Amino acid sequence: METKKTALYQKHLNLNAKMSNFAGYSMPLQYQSSKDEVLAVRNHAGMFDVSHMGEFFVEGSEAVNFIDFMLTNDFKNAENLKAVYSPLCREDGTIIDDLIAYKLSSEKVLVCVNAANISKDWDWFSSHVDKFDCQLTNQSEDFSLIAVQGPDTEQALEELQLLDGSEFPYYSVRVKEYGDGRIILARTGYTGEDGFELFCSHNVAEQLWEKLSSKNIVPCGLIARDILRIEVCYPLYGKEINDDVTPLDSALKWAVKLDKENFIGKDALLNYQPRFRLVKLSIDKGIPREDYPVLDSDGRQIGRVTSGTMSITINKGAALALIEKDKFPENKKLFIKIRNNIVEAEINKRPFVSGGHK
Amino acid sequence: MANILDTLRYTEEHEWILDEGDSGSIGITDFAQKSLGDIVFVELPEIGKEFEKGESFGVVESIKSVNDLLMPVSGEVLAINEELADRPELCNQDPYGAWMIKVKFSNKEEVGELLTPDQYSTQCENS
Repeated sequence: METKKTALYQKHLNLNAKMSNFAGYSMPLQYQSSKDEVLAVRNHAGMFDVSHMGEFFVEGSEAVNFIDFMLTNDFKNAENLKAVYSPLCREDGTIIDDLIAYKLSSEKVLVCVNAANISKDWDWFSSHVDKFDCQLTNQSEDFSLIAVQGPDTEQALEELQLLDGSEFPYYSVRVKEYGDGRIILARTGYTGEDGFELFCSHNVAEQLWEKLSSKNIVPCGLIARDILRIEVCYPLYGKEINDDVTPLDSALKWAVKLDKENFIGKDALLNYQPRFRLVKLSIDKGIPREDYPVLDSDGRQIGRVTSGTMSITINKGAALALIEKDKFPENKKLFIKIRNNIVEAEINKRPFVSGGHK
Repeated sequence: MANILDTLRYTEEHEWILDEGDSGSIGITDFAQKSLGDIVFVELPEIGKEFEKGESFGVVESIKSVNDLLMPVSGEVLAINEELADRPELCNQDPYGAWMIKVKFSNKEEVGELLTPDQYSTQCENS
């Protein structure tokens, strides 16, 4: 299969980005330095081309009911123009994907899904939509998506007149006239910082990117994006969450509303005994990496690192790890095996970085 | 272009060695640090350990990758650069100043078998 290019591909090449295939797209891994990119987002503002992500639209009188039925989180009671994060589960509670659903109106919903799962999600949504009075369309190929993240984002977007200073709470969405068309602005993101995601047509993507550049917003690649999300302990599909686990195994209980009238997976999740516990581990010396074993004091393997990195912000090794729940040690001591070394890890109750989102 | 010093010998795996007589200092080249990107961790051996040529004597980690450090020659570790534990970024900032280990040669002839600056330069241009 030929690698797809986003509308910003040439911009990335001009910036000498290191490119790599990701979910069928040629995407920027980093420009100059992932370290500087992470720091730009934490302290100032950075922008990411995430046009590879998928966009589905649902329109009709039962659009909201349909999405509410598909998601484990509560979408029905969200106000218009609000965004809701949710896992998408099968009947047995295992996770197909995680996504953000945007309630554009009481009859129109935008669902943004992970690039690698677009066809799987599309099949799943399609196979259930018939029972509802609404139309489902896959517009993933029609949208570019630029995420602008960091404390200086709001001011930059105001200066560019993309924001007008009116109320725009975290996790909400607005549609704005732009050029001949519209852009959808959402105050969401994957870094823990305040920021916005701009869904736009391909023909304005380059122009938007240039405008953002003119405000000294730093282009950031997928490596920085991964470090940023690990620092704030956001799960990633394929790592902390996947086809084999439920949201209750991966610290997503908050996004499963078992008191909802009905949703796919409810019966299974009502009676489910979690198999895993997701923990946040940090170490002072060394870098935990995906699939490194997690051991107890006796040296028995009881889990594994699902995502790990050197945290640029706290300058420590930081990891998310799934631990087998029935083997979780009473003394609460966990060790990470790094090559031939066994390193005791600190179990963090809070995310490594709190992030500044509103 | 990667910086290559005339005073050093090189390996195909991008280590450099400075010949200081019976012993030598070893590090990674400018080409290596550029392709690795931000170096965030360096793991070095214990002093006194002996390695064969080609054996892994440590690890250098960039943000995204873990890479073995390979002995350009056989020898015994006389010293390690402790400063790199706290400041791994020195490998990026000054790759030829940021020596990693000093070794006592077990077979001095091995140094002469390594790539000359010209040979290494050709290799970098072709990769």
